[in-house]
Amino acid sequence: MVPLGLLLGVIVAYPLGYSLWLSLTDRRIVGSKDATFVGLDQYAGLLDNAAYGVAMRNTIVFVVVAVTLELVLGLALAMALQRQRRARDLTRAFLLTPMFVTPIAVGLMFRFLLNEQLGAIPAILDNVGLDIDFFGPTLALPTIIAIDVWQWTPFMVLLLLAGLESLPRQPFEAARVDGASAWMTFRRVTLPLLKPAIGIAVLLRALDAFKVFEYVFATTRGGPGDATETIQYQIYRTGFQFFRIGEAAAMAFVLIAVVLVLATILYRRFLRPEASA
Amino acid sequence: MTPWLRRAFLLLAAVAVAFPYAWVVLASLKDRQALNDPASLGFSPTLDNWREIVDGGVLESALISVVVGTVTVAVALVAGTLGAYAISRYRTGGSATRFGILISQLMPPAVLVVPLFLIAFDLHLRDTVIVIVAAHLTFVLPVVTWFMIGFFDAVPRAYEEQAMVDGHSRFSAFRTVVLPQVLPGLGAAAIFAFVLSWNDLFFGLILAGGNTRTLPVAIASYNTFRGVELGAMSAAILVSVVPVLIASFYVQRRLVRGISAGGLKY
Repeated sequence: MVPLGLLLGVIVAYPLGYSLWLSLTDRRIVGSKDATFVGLDQYAGLLDNAAYGVAMRNTIVFVVVAVTLELVLGLALAMALQRQRRARDLTRAFLLTPMFVTPIAVGLMFRFLLNEQLGAIPAILDNVGLDIDFFGPTLALPTIIAIDVWQWTPFMVLLLLAGLESLPRQPFEAARVDGASAWMTFRRVTLPLLKPAIGIAVLLRALDAFKVFEYVFATTRGGPGDATETIQYQIYRTGFQFFRIGEAAAMAFVLIAVVLVLATILYRRFLRPEASA
Repeated sequence: MTPWLRRAFLLLAAVAVAFPYAWVVLASLKDRQALNDPASLGFSPTLDNWREIVDGGVLESALISVVVGTVTVAVALVAGTLGAYAISRYRTGGSATRFGILISQLMPPAVLVVPLFLIAFDLHLRDTVIVIVAAHLTFVLPVVTWFMIGFFDAVPRAYEEQAMVDGHSRFSAFRTVVLPQVLPGLGAAAIFAFVLSWNDLFFGLILAGGNTRTLPVAIASYNTFRGVELGAMSAAILVSVVPVLIASFYVQRRLVRGISAGGLKY
Protein backbone atom coordinates (compact mmCIF):
# COMPACT_ATOMS: atom_id res chain seq x y z
CA MET A 1 0.00 0.00 0.00
CA VAL A 2 2.83 2.41 0.80
CA PRO A 3 4.47 2.39 -2.66
CA LEU A 4 1.06 2.80 -4.31
CA GLY A 5 0.10 5.68 -2.04
CA LEU A 6 3.47 7.34 -2.49
CA LEU A 7 3.39 7.05 -6.27
CA LEU A 8 -0.19 8.24 -6.58
CA GLY A 9 0.73 11.08 -4.23
CA VAL A 10 3.64 12.20 -6.39
CA ILE A 11 2.10 11.80 -9.83
CA VAL A 12 -1.56 12.58 -9.10
CA ALA A 13 -2.07 14.49 -5.86
CA TYR A 14 0.83 16.93 -6.22
CA PRO A 15 -0.05 17.97 -9.80
CA LEU A 16 -3.68 18.23 -8.73
CA GLY A 17 -2.81 20.67 -5.94
CA TYR A 18 -0.48 22.58 -8.24
CA SER A 19 -3.27 22.77 -10.81
CA LEU A 20 -5.71 24.15 -8.25
CA TRP A 21 -3.20 26.86 -7.32
CA LEU A 22 -2.67 27.71 -11.01
CA SER A 23 -6.39 28.15 -11.52
CA LEU A 24 -6.25 30.99 -8.98
CA THR A 25 -3.49 32.84 -10.86
CA ASP A 26 -3.13 34.51 -14.24
CA ARG A 27 -0.19 32.29 -15.21
CA ARG A 28 0.74 32.19 -18.90
CA ILE A 29 3.55 30.23 -20.53
CA VAL A 30 4.86 33.02 -22.71
CA GLY A 31 6.01 36.37 -21.33
CA SER A 32 8.38 36.88 -18.45
CA LYS A 33 5.77 38.26 -16.06
CA ASP A 34 5.45 36.19 -12.89
CA ALA A 35 2.06 34.78 -12.11
CA THR A 36 -0.02 36.88 -9.75
CA PHE A 37 -2.76 35.65 -7.48
CA VAL A 38 -6.13 36.66 -8.88
CA GLY A 39 -8.45 34.70 -6.60
CA LEU A 40 -11.56 33.43 -8.34
CA ASP A 41 -11.26 35.79 -11.33
CA GLN A 42 -10.57 32.92 -13.75
CA TYR A 43 -13.73 31.14 -12.62
CA ALA A 44 -15.78 34.33 -12.80
CA GLY A 45 -14.40 34.88 -16.31
CA LEU A 46 -15.68 31.46 -17.38
CA LEU A 47 -19.22 32.50 -16.50
CA ASP A 48 -19.06 35.26 -19.13
CA ASN A 49 -17.20 33.07 -21.61
CA ALA A 50 -19.78 32.05 -24.20
CA ALA A 51 -17.38 29.64 -25.94
CA TYR A 52 -16.93 27.73 -22.69
CA GLY A 53 -20.69 27.37 -22.34
CA VAL A 54 -20.96 26.05 -25.89
CA ALA A 55 -18.16 23.55 -25.29
CA MET A 56 -19.79 22.37 -22.07
CA ARG A 57 -23.13 21.93 -23.85
CA ASN A 58 -21.51 20.04 -26.75
CA THR A 59 -19.67 17.79 -24.32
CA ILE A 60 -22.81 16.97 -22.34
CA VAL A 61 -24.82 16.25 -25.52
CA PHE A 62 -21.95 14.08 -26.73
CA VAL A 63 -21.71 12.10 -23.47
CA VAL A 64 -25.46 11.58 -23.03
CA VAL A 65 -26.23 10.56 -26.62
CA ALA A 66 -23.11 8.44 -27.14
CA VAL A 67 -23.39 6.54 -23.86
CA THR A 68 -27.13 5.92 -24.35
CA LEU A 69 -26.58 4.50 -27.84
CA GLU A 70 -23.66 2.41 -26.61
CA LEU A 71 -25.72 1.02 -23.73
CA VAL A 72 -28.65 0.00 -25.95
CA LEU A 73 -26.48 -1.46 -28.72
CA GLY A 74 -24.07 -3.01 -26.22
CA LEU A 75 -26.85 -4.72 -24.27
CA ALA A 76 -28.40 -6.10 -27.48
CA LEU A 77 -25.02 -7.37 -28.67
CA ALA A 78 -24.11 -8.86 -25.30
CA MET A 79 -27.40 -10.78 -25.16
CA ALA A 80 -26.97 -11.99 -28.75
CA LEU A 81 -23.39 -13.06 -28.03
CA GLN A 82 -24.41 -14.87 -24.85
CA ARG A 83 -26.71 -17.16 -26.86
CA GLN A 84 -24.28 -17.56 -29.74
CA ARG A 85 -22.96 -21.12 -30.07
CA ARG A 86 -21.14 -21.40 -33.37
CA ALA A 87 -17.71 -19.68 -33.68
CA ARG A 88 -18.38 -18.22 -30.25
CA ASP A 89 -14.89 -17.18 -29.15
CA LEU A 90 -13.91 -15.84 -32.55
CA THR A 91 -17.08 -13.74 -32.86
CA ARG A 92 -16.57 -12.28 -29.41
CA ALA A 93 -12.88 -11.59 -29.93
CA PHE A 94 -13.49 -9.89 -33.25
CA LEU A 95 -16.43 -7.74 -32.15
CA LEU A 96 -14.47 -6.51 -29.14
CA THR A 97 -11.43 -5.33 -31.11
CA PRO A 98 -12.39 -1.66 -31.68
CA MET A 99 -11.94 -0.73 -28.01
CA PHE A 100 -8.27 -1.65 -28.21
CA VAL A 101 -7.45 0.49 -31.25
CA THR A 102 -5.56 3.76 -30.79
CA PRO A 103 -8.29 6.44 -30.66
CA ILE A 104 -6.36 8.85 -32.88
CA ALA A 105 -6.15 6.07 -35.51
CA VAL A 106 -9.90 5.51 -35.20
CA GLY A 107 -10.53 9.23 -35.65
CA LEU A 108 -8.32 9.43 -38.73
CA MET A 109 -9.74 6.24 -40.21
CA PHE A 110 -13.24 7.71 -40.06
CA ARG A 111 -12.12 11.13 -41.16
CA PHE A 112 -11.05 9.69 -44.49
CA LEU A 113 -13.70 7.02 -44.67
CA LEU A 114 -16.26 9.84 -44.51
CA ASN A 115 -14.34 12.54 -46.42
CA GLU A 116 -16.38 14.08 -49.22
CA GLN A 117 -13.76 13.66 -51.95
CA LEU A 118 -11.64 10.73 -50.77
CA GLY A 119 -13.98 8.71 -48.61
CA ALA A 120 -15.44 5.33 -49.46
CA ILE A 121 -18.79 5.87 -47.75
CA PRO A 122 -19.73 9.15 -49.54
CA ALA A 123 -18.58 7.51 -52.79
CA ILE A 124 -20.94 4.59 -52.20
CA LEU A 125 -23.80 6.90 -51.16
CA ASP A 126 -23.13 9.01 -54.24
CA ASN A 127 -23.91 6.00 -56.43
CA VAL A 128 -27.40 5.82 -55.00
CA GLY A 129 -27.87 9.57 -55.35
CA LEU A 130 -27.25 10.65 -51.76
CA ASP A 131 -25.00 13.61 -51.03
CA ILE A 132 -24.23 13.88 -47.34
CA ASP A 133 -21.57 16.10 -45.74
CA PHE A 134 -20.70 14.18 -42.60
CA PHE A 135 -18.58 17.01 -41.21
CA GLY A 136 -20.99 19.85 -42.06
CA PRO A 137 -22.52 22.09 -39.38
CA THR A 138 -25.50 19.86 -38.58
CA LEU A 139 -23.92 16.43 -38.84
CA ALA A 140 -20.43 17.04 -37.40
CA LEU A 141 -21.38 16.35 -33.77
CA PRO A 142 -23.51 13.28 -34.65
CA THR A 143 -20.58 11.99 -36.74
CA ILE A 144 -18.20 12.32 -33.77
CA ILE A 145 -20.78 10.53 -31.63
CA ALA A 146 -20.98 7.73 -34.23
CA ILE A 147 -17.19 7.34 -34.14
CA ASP A 148 -17.34 7.03 -30.35
CA VAL A 149 -20.12 4.45 -30.66
CA TRP A 150 -18.02 2.41 -33.11
CA GLN A 151 -15.05 2.36 -30.78
CA TRP A 152 -16.69 2.03 -27.36
CA THR A 153 -19.81 -0.10 -27.78
CA PRO A 154 -17.46 -3.12 -27.43
CA PHE A 155 -16.49 -1.87 -23.97
CA MET A 156 -20.17 -1.98 -22.96
CA VAL A 157 -20.44 -5.46 -24.48
CA LEU A 158 -17.41 -6.60 -22.48
CA LEU A 159 -18.78 -5.44 -19.13
CA LEU A 160 -22.39 -6.46 -19.79
CA LEU A 161 -21.39 -9.88 -21.10
CA ALA A 162 -19.33 -10.44 -17.95
CA GLY A 163 -22.39 -9.35 -15.95
CA LEU A 164 -24.79 -11.61 -17.89
CA GLU A 165 -22.56 -14.64 -17.49
CA SER A 166 -22.34 -14.25 -13.72
CA LEU A 167 -26.14 -14.06 -13.23
CA PRO A 168 -27.79 -16.94 -11.32
CA ARG A 169 -29.91 -19.34 -13.40
CA GLN A 170 -32.83 -19.96 -11.06
CA PRO A 171 -34.77 -16.70 -11.69
CA PHE A 172 -34.73 -17.39 -15.43
CA GLU A 173 -35.97 -20.93 -14.94
CA ALA A 174 -38.70 -19.68 -12.63
CA ALA A 175 -39.76 -17.13 -15.25
CA ARG A 176 -39.90 -19.88 -17.86
CA VAL A 177 -41.97 -22.15 -15.62
CA ASP A 178 -44.37 -19.26 -15.03
CA GLY A 179 -44.71 -18.85 -18.79
CA ALA A 180 -43.31 -15.32 -18.96
CA SER A 181 -42.78 -13.93 -22.46
CA ALA A 182 -39.25 -13.12 -23.64
CA TRP A 183 -39.96 -9.41 -23.25
CA MET A 184 -41.34 -9.84 -19.71
CA THR A 185 -38.34 -11.94 -18.72
CA PHE A 186 -36.05 -9.24 -20.04
CA ARG A 187 -37.91 -6.41 -18.27
CA ARG A 188 -38.58 -8.10 -14.95
CA VAL A 189 -35.65 -10.51 -14.54
CA THR A 190 -32.64 -9.65 -16.71
CA LEU A 191 -32.67 -5.87 -16.29
CA PRO A 192 -33.05 -5.75 -12.48
CA LEU A 193 -30.40 -8.43 -11.97
CA LEU A 194 -28.06 -6.67 -14.37
CA LYS A 195 -28.48 -3.27 -12.71
CA PRO A 196 -25.10 -3.21 -10.93
CA ALA A 197 -23.25 -4.22 -14.11
CA ILE A 198 -25.15 -1.60 -16.14
CA GLY A 199 -24.37 0.97 -13.46
CA ILE A 200 -20.65 0.41 -13.51
CA ALA A 201 -20.55 0.19 -17.32
CA VAL A 202 -22.42 3.48 -17.74
CA LEU A 203 -20.34 5.16 -15.05
CA LEU A 204 -16.99 4.10 -16.53
CA ARG A 205 -18.05 4.93 -20.05
CA ALA A 206 -19.61 8.31 -19.20
CA LEU A 207 -16.59 9.48 -17.22
CA ASP A 208 -14.33 8.37 -20.05
CA ALA A 209 -16.52 10.06 -22.68
CA PHE A 210 -16.02 13.41 -20.93
CA LYS A 211 -12.39 13.10 -21.96
CA VAL A 212 -13.20 13.05 -25.69
CA PHE A 213 -10.28 14.63 -27.48
CA GLU A 214 -8.77 12.42 -30.19
CA TYR A 215 -11.80 12.31 -32.51
CA VAL A 216 -12.19 16.08 -32.44
CA PHE A 217 -8.45 16.56 -32.91
CA ALA A 218 -8.41 14.12 -35.83
CA THR A 219 -11.56 15.20 -37.66
CA THR A 220 -13.04 18.63 -37.11
CA ARG A 221 -10.74 20.58 -34.75
CA GLY A 222 -13.85 21.91 -33.06
CA GLY A 223 -15.52 23.13 -36.22
CA PRO A 224 -17.38 23.95 -38.33
CA GLY A 225 -17.72 27.09 -36.23
CA ASP A 226 -17.99 25.75 -32.70
CA ALA A 227 -20.23 22.78 -33.55
CA THR A 228 -17.86 20.15 -32.15
CA GLU A 229 -15.87 22.19 -29.65
CA THR A 230 -15.60 19.97 -26.55
CA ILE A 231 -14.21 20.86 -23.12
CA GLN A 232 -11.12 18.70 -23.36
CA TYR A 233 -10.25 20.14 -26.76
CA GLN A 234 -10.92 23.69 -25.59
CA ILE A 235 -8.62 23.21 -22.60
CA TYR A 236 -5.92 21.96 -24.96
CA ARG A 237 -6.27 25.05 -27.14
CA THR A 238 -6.51 27.55 -24.30
CA GLY A 239 -3.54 26.12 -22.44
CA PHE A 240 -1.22 24.96 -25.19
CA GLN A 241 -2.04 27.04 -28.24
CA PHE A 242 -2.97 30.31 -26.55
CA PHE A 243 -0.77 29.56 -23.49
CA ARG A 244 -3.32 30.80 -20.94
CA ILE A 245 -2.43 28.16 -18.35
CA GLY A 246 -4.34 29.65 -15.43
CA GLU A 247 -7.55 29.86 -17.41
CA ALA A 248 -7.10 26.29 -18.72
CA ALA A 249 -6.65 25.03 -15.15
CA ALA A 250 -9.86 26.76 -14.06
CA MET A 251 -11.73 25.15 -16.99
CA ALA A 252 -10.40 21.78 -15.95
CA PHE A 253 -11.58 22.18 -12.37
CA VAL A 254 -15.09 23.10 -13.42
CA LEU A 255 -15.04 19.90 -15.48
CA ILE A 256 -13.90 17.89 -12.43
CA ALA A 257 -16.81 19.32 -10.45
CA VAL A 258 -19.28 18.27 -13.16
CA VAL A 259 -17.74 14.80 -13.39
CA LEU A 260 -17.79 14.33 -9.61
CA VAL A 261 -21.44 15.31 -9.37
CA LEU A 262 -22.29 12.87 -12.16
CA ALA A 263 -20.24 10.09 -10.57
CA THR A 264 -21.92 10.61 -7.21
CA ILE A 265 -25.40 10.51 -8.73
CA LEU A 266 -24.66 7.32 -10.68
CA TYR A 267 -22.96 5.73 -7.67
CA ARG A 268 -25.94 6.45 -5.40
CA ARG A 269 -28.43 5.35 -8.02
CA PHE A 270 -26.84 2.08 -9.12
CA LEU A 271 -23.87 1.00 -7.11
CA ARG A 272 -24.33 1.55 -3.42
CA PRO A 273 -24.65 -1.89 -1.83
CA GLU A 274 -28.11 -1.05 -0.41
CA ALA A 275 -29.31 0.14 -3.82
CA SER A 276 -28.36 -3.05 -5.63
CA ALA A 277 -29.36 -5.54 -2.93
CA MET B 1 -34.90 -12.73 -30.62
CA THR B 2 -35.19 -15.53 -33.14
CA PRO B 3 -31.91 -17.29 -33.98
CA TRP B 4 -32.08 -16.02 -37.54
CA LEU B 5 -32.50 -12.41 -36.46
CA ARG B 6 -29.75 -12.80 -33.91
CA ARG B 7 -27.28 -14.08 -36.47
CA ALA B 8 -28.16 -11.30 -38.91
CA PHE B 9 -27.61 -8.76 -36.14
CA LEU B 10 -24.20 -10.19 -35.22
CA LEU B 11 -23.21 -10.36 -38.88
CA LEU B 12 -24.15 -6.72 -39.37
CA ALA B 13 -22.06 -5.78 -36.33
CA ALA B 14 -19.11 -7.77 -37.67
CA VAL B 15 -19.33 -5.98 -41.02
CA ALA B 16 -19.47 -2.60 -39.27
CA VAL B 17 -16.33 -3.52 -37.33
CA ALA B 18 -14.48 -4.99 -40.32
CA PHE B 19 -15.19 -2.27 -42.87
CA PRO B 20 -12.82 0.44 -41.54
CA TYR B 21 -10.02 -2.12 -41.06
CA ALA B 22 -10.40 -3.39 -44.61
CA TRP B 23 -10.43 0.11 -46.01
CA VAL B 24 -7.21 1.11 -44.21
CA VAL B 25 -5.41 -2.03 -45.39
CA LEU B 26 -6.44 -1.24 -48.97
CA ALA B 27 -5.48 2.44 -48.65
CA SER B 28 -2.00 1.52 -47.39
CA LEU B 29 -1.40 -0.40 -50.64
CA LYS B 30 -2.75 2.21 -53.05
CA ASP B 31 -0.72 4.81 -54.93
CA ARG B 32 -1.76 8.45 -55.06
CA GLN B 33 -3.93 8.08 -58.10
CA ALA B 34 -5.85 5.09 -56.81
CA LEU B 35 -6.47 6.91 -53.52
CA ASN B 36 -8.34 9.64 -55.35
CA ASP B 37 -10.85 7.09 -56.53
CA PRO B 38 -12.05 5.67 -53.22
CA ALA B 39 -14.64 3.22 -54.48
CA SER B 40 -12.33 1.38 -56.87
CA LEU B 41 -11.01 -2.05 -56.00
CA GLY B 42 -9.11 -2.64 -59.25
CA PHE B 43 -5.70 -1.09 -58.56
CA SER B 44 -2.16 -2.39 -58.67
CA PRO B 45 -0.83 -2.64 -55.11
CA THR B 46 2.36 -0.78 -54.19
CA LEU B 47 4.64 -0.81 -51.15
CA ASP B 48 5.66 2.86 -51.58
CA ASN B 49 3.61 3.94 -48.56
CA TRP B 50 5.33 1.38 -46.37
CA ARG B 51 8.77 2.53 -47.56
CA GLU B 52 7.76 6.10 -46.83
CA ILE B 53 6.82 5.49 -43.21
CA VAL B 54 10.06 3.58 -42.59
CA ASP B 55 11.98 6.61 -43.88
CA GLY B 56 9.67 8.95 -41.97
CA GLY B 57 10.67 7.65 -38.53
CA VAL B 58 7.51 5.76 -37.68
CA LEU B 59 9.56 2.77 -36.51
CA GLU B 60 11.58 4.98 -34.15
CA SER B 61 8.31 6.31 -32.75
CA ALA B 62 7.04 2.76 -32.33
CA LEU B 63 10.23 1.94 -30.41
CA ILE B 64 9.71 4.95 -28.12
CA SER B 65 6.13 3.81 -27.50
CA VAL B 66 7.41 0.31 -26.64
CA VAL B 67 9.94 1.74 -24.16
CA VAL B 68 7.36 4.03 -22.55
CA GLY B 69 4.81 1.23 -22.33
CA THR B 70 7.26 -1.29 -20.88
CA VAL B 71 8.59 1.03 -18.17
CA THR B 72 5.07 2.22 -17.31
CA VAL B 73 3.76 -1.33 -17.00
CA ALA B 74 6.76 -2.47 -14.93
CA VAL B 75 6.34 0.32 -12.39
CA ALA B 76 2.55 -0.06 -12.33
CA LEU B 77 2.76 -3.83 -11.78
CA VAL B 78 5.10 -3.58 -8.79
CA ALA B 79 3.27 -0.74 -7.05
CA GLY B 80 -0.21 -1.79 -8.17
CA THR B 81 0.12 -5.46 -7.20
CA LEU B 82 1.43 -4.69 -3.70
CA GLY B 83 -1.21 -2.02 -3.21
CA ALA B 84 -4.01 -4.24 -4.49
CA TYR B 85 -2.94 -7.05 -2.17
CA ALA B 86 -3.03 -4.71 0.80
CA ILE B 87 -6.45 -3.35 -0.18
CA SER B 88 -7.81 -6.84 -0.76
CA ARG B 89 -6.50 -8.35 2.51
CA TYR B 90 -6.49 -5.52 5.02
CA ARG B 91 -9.50 -3.69 3.54
CA THR B 92 -7.47 -0.48 3.66
CA GLY B 93 -9.86 2.43 3.63
CA GLY B 94 -12.89 0.21 3.06
CA SER B 95 -14.99 0.41 -0.09
CA ALA B 96 -14.09 4.09 -0.48
CA THR B 97 -10.57 3.09 -1.57
CA ARG B 98 -11.90 0.69 -4.15
CA PHE B 99 -14.20 3.29 -5.62
CA GLY B 100 -11.80 6.20 -5.20
CA ILE B 101 -9.10 4.43 -7.13
CA LEU B 102 -11.44 4.29 -10.11
CA ILE B 103 -12.26 7.98 -9.87
CA SER B 104 -8.59 8.89 -9.98
CA GLN B 105 -8.26 6.97 -13.22
CA LEU B 106 -11.20 8.79 -14.72
CA MET B 107 -10.02 12.25 -13.85
CA PRO B 108 -9.84 14.36 -17.01
CA PRO B 109 -6.23 14.30 -18.28
CA ALA B 110 -6.51 18.04 -18.90
CA VAL B 111 -6.43 18.61 -15.15
CA LEU B 112 -3.12 16.83 -14.75
CA VAL B 113 -1.41 17.82 -17.95
CA VAL B 114 -1.04 21.51 -17.09
CA PRO B 115 0.93 21.00 -13.85
CA LEU B 116 2.85 18.05 -15.30
CA PHE B 117 3.88 20.28 -18.18
CA LEU B 118 5.12 23.04 -15.86
CA ILE B 119 6.89 20.59 -13.50
CA ALA B 120 8.59 18.92 -16.45
CA PHE B 121 9.62 22.35 -17.71
CA ASP B 122 11.17 23.29 -14.35
CA LEU B 123 12.99 19.96 -14.00
CA HIS B 124 14.22 20.08 -17.63
CA LEU B 125 12.38 16.83 -18.34
CA ARG B 126 10.22 18.16 -21.14
CA ASP B 127 10.27 16.00 -24.26
CA THR B 128 11.75 13.00 -22.44
CA VAL B 129 10.53 9.45 -21.90
CA ILE B 130 10.48 10.03 -18.12
CA VAL B 131 7.72 12.62 -18.16
CA ILE B 132 5.56 10.55 -20.50
CA VAL B 133 5.96 7.53 -18.22
CA ALA B 134 4.94 9.63 -15.21
CA ALA B 135 1.91 10.94 -17.10
CA HIS B 136 0.87 7.47 -18.26
CA LEU B 137 1.16 6.11 -14.72
CA THR B 138 -1.59 8.52 -13.66
CA PHE B 139 -4.15 6.45 -15.55
CA VAL B 140 -2.42 3.04 -15.84
CA LEU B 141 -1.64 2.53 -12.14
CA PRO B 142 -5.25 2.84 -10.90
CA VAL B 143 -6.52 0.44 -13.58
CA VAL B 144 -3.88 -2.18 -12.76
CA THR B 145 -4.60 -1.85 -9.04
CA TRP B 146 -8.34 -2.16 -9.59
CA PHE B 147 -8.01 -5.31 -11.68
CA MET B 148 -5.59 -6.92 -9.25
CA ILE B 149 -7.90 -6.28 -6.27
CA GLY B 150 -10.49 -8.46 -8.01
CA PHE B 151 -7.99 -11.24 -8.67
CA PHE B 152 -6.64 -11.18 -5.10
CA ASP B 153 -10.18 -11.29 -3.70
CA ALA B 154 -10.67 -14.57 -5.57
CA VAL B 155 -7.71 -16.24 -3.81
CA PRO B 156 -8.86 -17.89 -0.55
CA ARG B 157 -7.18 -16.51 2.58
CA ALA B 158 -6.61 -20.05 3.83
CA TYR B 159 -3.76 -20.41 1.29
CA GLU B 160 -1.43 -17.86 2.82
CA GLU B 161 -2.61 -18.58 6.36
CA GLN B 162 -1.46 -22.16 5.87
CA ALA B 163 1.83 -20.92 4.43
CA MET B 164 2.38 -18.66 7.43
CA VAL B 165 1.66 -21.56 9.79
CA ASP B 166 4.36 -23.41 7.85
CA GLY B 167 6.85 -20.68 8.77
CA HIS B 168 6.67 -18.27 5.85
CA SER B 169 6.66 -14.55 6.58
CA ARG B 170 3.70 -12.55 5.27
CA PHE B 171 5.72 -11.28 2.31
CA SER B 172 7.20 -14.65 1.49
CA ALA B 173 3.72 -16.22 1.68
CA PHE B 174 2.53 -13.53 -0.70
CA ARG B 175 5.41 -14.18 -3.09
CA THR B 176 5.43 -17.97 -3.12
CA VAL B 177 1.75 -18.82 -2.58
CA VAL B 178 -0.55 -15.96 -3.57
CA LEU B 179 1.32 -14.44 -6.49
CA PRO B 180 1.40 -17.65 -8.60
CA GLN B 181 -2.40 -17.87 -8.17
CA VAL B 182 -2.97 -14.47 -9.77
CA LEU B 183 -0.31 -14.79 -12.48
CA PRO B 184 -2.83 -15.14 -15.36
CA GLY B 185 -4.64 -12.05 -14.11
CA LEU B 186 -1.35 -10.24 -13.78
CA GLY B 187 -0.54 -11.07 -17.39
CA ALA B 188 -3.88 -9.76 -18.61
CA ALA B 189 -3.56 -6.60 -16.51
CA ALA B 190 -0.04 -6.03 -17.89
CA ILE B 191 -1.18 -6.31 -21.50
CA PHE B 192 -4.23 -4.14 -20.91
CA ALA B 193 -2.06 -1.52 -19.20
CA PHE B 194 0.41 -1.61 -22.08
CA VAL B 195 -2.40 -1.01 -24.57
CA LEU B 196 -3.60 2.01 -22.55
CA SER B 197 -0.13 3.51 -22.63
CA TRP B 198 0.42 2.61 -26.30
CA ASN B 199 -2.82 4.36 -27.30
CA ASP B 200 -2.37 7.66 -25.49
CA LEU B 201 -2.17 10.77 -27.66
CA PHE B 202 -3.02 13.63 -25.29
CA PHE B 203 -0.07 13.43 -22.89
CA GLY B 204 2.41 12.47 -25.59
CA LEU B 205 1.35 15.40 -27.74
CA ILE B 206 1.64 18.03 -25.02
CA LEU B 207 4.50 16.78 -22.84
CA ALA B 208 6.79 15.55 -25.61
CA GLY B 209 6.24 15.45 -29.33
CA GLY B 210 9.56 17.03 -30.38
CA ASN B 211 12.39 14.49 -30.36
CA THR B 212 10.39 11.99 -28.33
CA ARG B 213 7.41 11.33 -30.55
CA THR B 214 5.29 8.41 -29.44
CA LEU B 215 3.51 6.44 -32.13
CA PRO B 216 0.09 8.12 -31.82
CA VAL B 217 1.80 11.53 -32.09
CA ALA B 218 3.64 10.34 -35.21
CA ILE B 219 0.37 9.13 -36.73
CA ALA B 220 -1.34 12.42 -35.95
CA SER B 221 1.50 14.30 -37.64
CA TYR B 222 0.56 12.77 -41.01
CA ASN B 223 -2.69 14.63 -40.66
CA THR B 224 -1.39 18.11 -39.90
CA PHE B 225 2.01 19.34 -40.92
CA ARG B 226 2.60 17.82 -44.33
CA GLY B 227 -0.92 18.04 -45.63
CA VAL B 228 -2.73 14.76 -46.02
CA GLU B 229 -0.64 11.75 -46.87
CA LEU B 230 -3.40 9.24 -46.89
CA GLY B 231 -1.45 6.17 -47.97
CA ALA B 232 1.46 6.66 -45.57
CA MET B 233 -0.92 7.50 -42.77
CA SER B 234 -2.88 4.29 -43.36
CA ALA B 235 0.36 2.29 -43.18
CA ALA B 236 1.31 4.07 -39.94
CA ILE B 237 -2.14 3.35 -38.50
CA LEU B 238 -1.62 -0.35 -39.24
CA VAL B 239 1.76 -0.32 -37.46
CA SER B 240 -0.10 0.88 -34.38
CA VAL B 241 -3.22 -1.26 -34.71
CA VAL B 242 -1.96 -4.72 -35.65
CA PRO B 243 0.06 -5.46 -32.45
CA VAL B 244 -2.81 -4.22 -30.33
CA LEU B 245 -5.32 -6.44 -32.12
CA ILE B 246 -3.11 -9.48 -31.58
CA ALA B 247 -2.76 -8.59 -27.89
CA SER B 248 -6.51 -8.08 -27.58
CA PHE B 249 -7.29 -11.62 -28.72
CA TYR B 250 -5.07 -12.93 -25.94
CA VAL B 251 -6.26 -10.60 -23.23
CA GLN B 252 -10.03 -10.28 -23.59
CA ARG B 253 -11.16 -13.71 -22.39
CA ARG B 254 -9.23 -13.14 -19.19
CA LEU B 255 -10.68 -9.64 -18.96
CA VAL B 256 -14.23 -11.01 -19.04
CA ARG B 257 -13.32 -13.52 -16.34
CA GLY B 258 -11.47 -10.92 -14.27
CA ILE B 259 -14.34 -8.47 -14.43
CA SER B 260 -16.98 -11.01 -13.46
CA ALA B 261 -14.70 -12.49 -10.75
CA GLY B 262 -14.02 -9.34 -8.84
CA GLY B 263 -14.16 -6.10 -10.72
CA LEU B 264 -17.91 -5.72 -10.51
CA LYS B 265 -18.07 -6.26 -6.77
CA TYR B 266 -17.60 -3.67 -4.08
